[in-house]
Amino acid sequence: MKLKNEHEIRDPIHVFIHMNSDERRILDSPPIQRLRHIHQLALTSYVYPGASHTRFEHSIGTMEVATRIYDIVTDDSHNKYSDLTIDKSFDRQYWRRVIRLAALLHDIGHSPFSHAPEGLFPTGWNHERMTREIITSGYLDSLCRDLKIQADDVALLAVGPEKSDKKVVKNLEAILSEIIIGDSFGADRIDYLLRDSYHSGVAYGKFDHYRLIETLRILPKYYEDSEEPALGIEVGGLQSAEALLLARYFMFSQLYFHPIRRIYDIHLLDFLRVFLKGGKFPTEVDEYLKFTDNEIMTGIYAAYRDPKNPAHVYAKRIVERKHFKVLYSRNPIDIAKTTEAGKAIFEAACDKFGEDKIRYDPYVQKGSDVTFPVLEKDGRIVSSRMKSEVLNTLPVVKIDTVYVEPGLEETAKRWLKKEREGIIASKEMKK
Amino acid sequence: MEMMEKDAVLLKLAERLKAHGSWCGETHIQKSTYLLQEMLHVPLGFEFILYKHGPFSFELKDEIAEMRADTLLTWQEQPAPYGDSLIVAPLGTQMLESLKSDISPYDAQIEFVAEIINNRGVKDLEKLATAFYVRNTCGEIPPEEQVKKLCQFKPHITSDDARLAVQEIDRIISNTKAMG
Repeated sequence: MKLKNEHEIRDPIHVFIHMNSDERRILDSPPIQRLRHIHQLALTSYVYPGASHTRFEHSIGTMEVATRIYDIVTDDSHNKYSDLTIDKSFDRQYWRRVIRLAALLHDIGHSPFSHAPEGLFPTGWNHERMTREIITSGYLDSLCRDLKIQADDVALLAVGPEKSDKKVVKNLEAILSEIIIGDSFGADRIDYLLRDSYHSGVAYGKFDHYRLIETLRILPKYYEDSEEPALGIEVGGLQSAEALLLARYFMFSQLYFHPIRRIYDIHLLDFLRVFLKGGKFPTEVDEYLKFTDNEIMTGIYAAYRDPKNPAHVYAKRIVERKHFKVLYSRNPIDIAKTTEAGKAIFEAACDKFGEDKIRYDPYVQKGSDVTFPVLEKDGRIVSSRMKSEVLNTLPVVKIDTVYVEPGLEETAKRWLKKEREGIIASKEMKK
Repeated sequence: MEMMEKDAVLLKLAERLKAHGSWCGETHIQKSTYLLQEMLHVPLGFEFILYKHGPFSFELKDEIAEMRADTLLTWQEQPAPYGDSLIVAPLGTQMLESLKSDISPYDAQIEFVAEIINNRGVKDLEKLATAFYVRNTCGEIPPEEQVKKLCQFKPHITSDDARLAVQEIDRIISNTKAMG
């Protein structure tokens, strides 16, 4: 009897996701199965209880979206400007296998609780470098060979040019990695917005991704006086692109940058600095892969139950939800005086109440580029900024939050009310 | 270089590019910063790889986004078919004024780069900056080898155009020596 070679996976976002038996073997390998035990949004479920989904389902979803985009943009019948042929040796089937696998593996190097403990990698390391290491390690390298693809190609597309070790990126590689991790229409972004929105119950993340994907094209940026190809869109899909970028803006301001969600990331970091050997994750692949959210949560509860444990105080903050409270957040009036208002208040608060009692969270939304080529009905190619008032006014989300220990909240707020102007004036830019 | 000082250098660069008639889109800032850092040794500390339109820094891209978030830089619409310009916003002007003396040691280098960039389009900048990338990273190789490398990195650039770019970079480097 012939064994089944095509498999279907049910998914709440994309309904059915298909994969073949070789891909299924990779899906079943320990490094990918580990992602079942890494929450997509760290401790976000402490604020939005439904947000308990994992990197595993996001990885499968990203593979599905990347495939749909790839099939559309490499279909010559859709593309007047089939610039992928700039690379004469472009092999459509080869790169389809690579892009599917790269999308499936793009988050394989995530530490427990995803982005939250990113600062606990040793110098020179991050989750993208771990992703490269795992893809090219013994675990997956031989499975890549079974699929007749180069693990190095998979690693490059999985992490993108920024986090790869390549110094020269070809047009073909740039376009293909944009399909997975691109700022404007990357499959990673499309999947995480839809999925995070679905699970957290925050409806802002929804947009018409079917329409968006159908209208994606590879286009030269003639409006920049350039022939370099980029991922762009037919004018008919512009509103769905706007909807994606607005969804991202709202999801960042409402969910990802929610101040209580962010303080749990910081409390987790405080705990891990004590819990991990040397305060850092190991970089040896076998050792690294032993860590999932489960091991860390077990450690948090063990420390919580033992008052003598050096991490007890941090574990207690998480288990009993005794998180720090917002003392100061960024606002336009202070920014007009100095871009370093939050930093000044953090430093002054540390002097006043002690470093243990204060936490600081400055962060700016990355990947906020909303410029891409748009193909007009008459064949002209123009910049998205010229076509869209929405994109031109889309702000970059930045946070600059100072937190204080719960028992000190009222005292600290009174202190800040009195001292605030003087503290900010000390950093003020001269007129 | 401190972050605020680095931002002030980028603001000054945007201001001088605009004064020299540059359309000053993000690509113009990317390529001019590359030349400022690698050719004129202004210690901005950005890491560049060969990517979109030639040398490109993701760190610089994030820095520009942060400067927009801080309303130091802002987009200004350009007439069709061009993409938008990045211009110094009122708060950026205020920052430039307050850090004027801190960044004055780099004034001559910024002016030199702004003069080179002038009103060049992206296509022209891509050739020029990539030609310098070849020169900067491939060691001492003959001009024709530089032309080959440039075409290999950017296949949509013709060898005639690449040759002109390599020659121009030679002239520009000689002029930097005259700067002292």
